Amino acid sequence: MSDAIRHLQLPLSAEEARSLTLGDRVTVSGPIFTGRSRFHIRAIEQNIVPPLDFQAINCFFHVGPVMRRQDERWEIVSIEPTSSIRFDRYSGDVIRKLRLRTLIGKTTMGPAAAEALREVGGVYLTKIGVCGNQLRPQVKKVHGVYFLEELGKTEATWVFEVEQFGPFFVAMDAHGNNYFQQLSADVASRMGAIYRDLGIPDDYGWTNVDATRKPGDPA
Amino acid sequence: MISYHAIESTMYEAMRRAAVTLPPDVEAALHRAMAEETDPLAREHLHVSLENTRLAMAGQGLVCGDTGFPLYFVTAGSRTQVEGGFATLWKAAQSATARVTDDSFLRPTMVDPLSRANPGHNVGPGMPKVELTFSGDGDGLEILAAPKGGGSEIFGTFYRMLFPADGEAGIFKFVLESIQAACYAGKICPPAIVGVGIGGSADLCMRMAKEAAVLRPVGQPHPDPRVAEMEHKLLQATRRMGIGPMGSRGINAVLGLHIEIALTHTAALPVAVNAQCLVGRRWMASIAADGAATYRGDLS
Repeated sequence: MSDAIRHLQLPLSAEEARSLTLGDRVTVSGPIFTGRSRFHIRAIEQNIVPPLDFQAINCFFHVGPVMRRQDERWEIVSIEPTSSIRFDRYSGDVIRKLRLRTLIGKTTMGPAAAEALREVGGVYLTKIGVCGNQLRPQVKKVHGVYFLEELGKTEATWVFEVEQFGPFFVAMDAHGNNYFQQLSADVASRMGAIYRDLGIPDDYGWTNVDATRKPGDPA
Repeated sequence: MISYHAIESTMYEAMRRAAVTLPPDVEAALHRAMAEETDPLAREHLHVSLENTRLAMAGQGLVCGDTGFPLYFVTAGSRTQVEGGFATLWKAAQSATARVTDDSFLRPTMVDPLSRANPGHNVGPGMPKVELTFSGDGDGLEILAAPKGGGSEIFGTFYRMLFPADGEAGIFKFVLESIQAACYAGKICPPAIVGVGIGGSADLCMRMAKEAAVLRPVGQPHPDPRVAEMEHKLLQATRRMGIGPMGSRGINAVLGLHIEIALTHTAALPVAVNAQCLVGRRWMASIAADGAATYRGDLS
């Protein structure tokens, strides 16, 4: 992990994506598009995606921005990344379908997304702190909005031009690794001692009231 | 007699303030957490979050862009009189919530659960949620507005029916497993304020957990020493997990752990967990009998 921030130009090439390491701090500059649950469900179940050149506008930002209409122009009030893990059912398929090499969100994504990122040559960036007001002035232009009538301001797809947007950190690299995997294993390894010190034995189980279980089934 | 207009405008202002202000006890707790963390990423998560709220308070955005579920907790006294009767509290909350949303202090986030259609102003069946309780013999109204973020509610809600034989060990295991799962990759936006309900019926149990997380000043111990000791033991245990702000490596997964209890069935031991995210948004308003409103962020 390096302290220096890498400034990336969008769209990211697969080669650049593969050069990034877990924990790297990065910003991105260029065009991005937004979406949440409805984007994912519609893209895969109904084959509905906004009419964009996804190789040019290739960075998918998981967000429902707070938008205000001011003098016939759209203005951003706040733009807080949303939890990407919610889209787990569709993330891998969306990454493959649109050949996405940069995704930005909150939390992480699952194993299917990790495999898709490895195939496509893409990275997943996650937010640092609650940062929506600091990201706001880094959006230089609102290019447009799609499906606003059907989906409303929060779930619509917005297309923005951003400049040195971030910093974020690389939480999933293009080689199938996830920043939170090792961290989670470290936490799990500490739990036994914590439970024992509270008087909870290693084989503790809650009372099992499932009358259909057979003798010998785990509690 | 408190006028409808006074209630509606106070509900508007309390929700607006909650959306753009960090409560003072939460801010103090975040500063204490930052002083303890050593991992650079853990510190950066807190530093950025505090800077974000500074911008919100300076009129440049919101404390968090997910303004979540619009909740109102209203307490009336036995002598309180409301123009049009207490049912107008719900009408006032709907009008206030729609106006705060139209003015872009709340994001239009509430949708129909089946069609997913968005009414555009956070108002519809059940929302905004108004919880009315009566306490004391006063003649005013206390209104706490809480825009409760999605992350903490969606990933930080757990319920389990334990049994008397499961005892304290069962409670501890359930609460710690819940916190471990909820904090993974920063799902509930830690350091969280964790509410725990023990006892009651299923709905009362969850309501206690929610109110412990949202209404109690951060870190204030329960008056019953048995409960306060459980709070202390659980909080200390979370500090050994190795989870810090936003799921990083650190100490502060939890800013405060608050338990509420109620009588329950002799056969049962229900336990509920409900988390509040690191920005702990809530703002309190008091309306006197003449309709005059005052606002405060300090709940102690």
